[in-house]
Amino acid sequence: MYAKREFVNLMRLLLLVAISFAVTGCGRNQRMDRLYAERCLGCHGSFGRGDGPVTVSLPARLPDFRETVQRKSTGQIRRIISEGRGIMPGFDPALRPAEITDMVEMVRFLSREGRDVSWWEKYDTLVVAHCSVPWDLFLGYDDAPEEKRVEKP
Amino acid sequence: MLRNLKFRLGRTLFLLPFMALATLNHGFSHEPTNSKKISGPQRREVRIPIRDFRLIDQNGRSFDFKTVRDKVVVLAFAYTTCPDVCPLTTAAMRQIQMGFDRIERSSVYFITVTTDPEVDNPKVLAVYAKRYGVDLSDWAFVTGEEVVLRGIWKNFGVQVVRKARGLVDHTSLTAVIDRTGTMRFAYYGTAPDPKVVIEDVRSLLAHRSNS
Repeated sequence: MYAKREFVNLMRLLLLVAISFAVTGCGRNQRMDRLYAERCLGCHGSFGRGDGPVTVSLPARLPDFRETVQRKSTGQIRRIISEGRGIMPGFDPALRPAEITDMVEMVRFLSREGRDVSWWEKYDTLVVAHCSVPWDLFLGYDDAPEEKRVEKP
Repeated sequence: MLRNLKFRLGRTLFLLPFMALATLNHGFSHEPTNSKKISGPQRREVRIPIRDFRLIDQNGRSFDFKTVRDKVVVLAFAYTTCPDVCPLTTAAMRQIQMGFDRIERSSVYFITVTTDPEVDNPKVLAVYAKRYGVDLSDWAFVTGEEVVLRGIWKNFGVQVVRKARGLVDHTSLTAVIDRTGTMRFAYYGTAPDPKVVIEDVRSLLAHRSNS
């Protein structure tokens, strides 16, 4: 009898968590904004439209996230941010996986602004809701993984 | 009763981080800002003697500046995860490298000195060079101990301030060094105009030919 009540309570708890995810979603946070401002804004601009201050010195036009990101999978965006493309630096040597995830999410947020989102993107918030979980508390966001540490020459 | 209370307390504690996160979420109304301004290129004629240095190249081998003393050296300061000027500088250096013919290339050498030894190990530098399609036969990407690099940065008048891992503020300098080891031209600000640098290097090469 007691076990059943515990199970029901657990289910209620899970429902509550699911609702809180649905309401809060994976909103933009200050960490994402800081990373974006420090590492991306110079070229991609405040709204990801490819009009940052550095672009005046670039020979080619940079993509507008609203036009390009929609067609890319999260894995593809992650690879571009991690490994770089063209003269865009690859951030993998410097950033932790959680920080690269933040950048991927930021790019996705900016790509949705001011355009009609596809039906599946409306559920994207739920799909990626796990980013609202404070993983860094469990996984050590501030500790650099062993392989990322500096290799002394 | 007590068990139920414990459960409720546990549930509240469990939800607290999520509630806090929900409060931190800022929605879509704000925009990140970056007050950093990038100044235009500035060319200066200088005469600064450059001391010999020994660092590690992109292959993990020792690189001794002495070995390129008989060449005109185009040297730039950059780091691989730089989000603004460095990519332009490296791209400009690549254009400069391609701008010389085979004979000129034999008398010119290119060096990129990192300003972020914490991240830029030889392996990272090698990947970076490959992405730019650099011909490494006359170009070295070098790194080393920070204490050694600090001496080199100081010699060139380059200021380096670490802001975060993989994020460094540094003087954007590309330098041309003559065969006596004296820095003769310095280009500050955004990436130098490749045509201007090529002409400056040719003027130094011609000086040797005439003398």
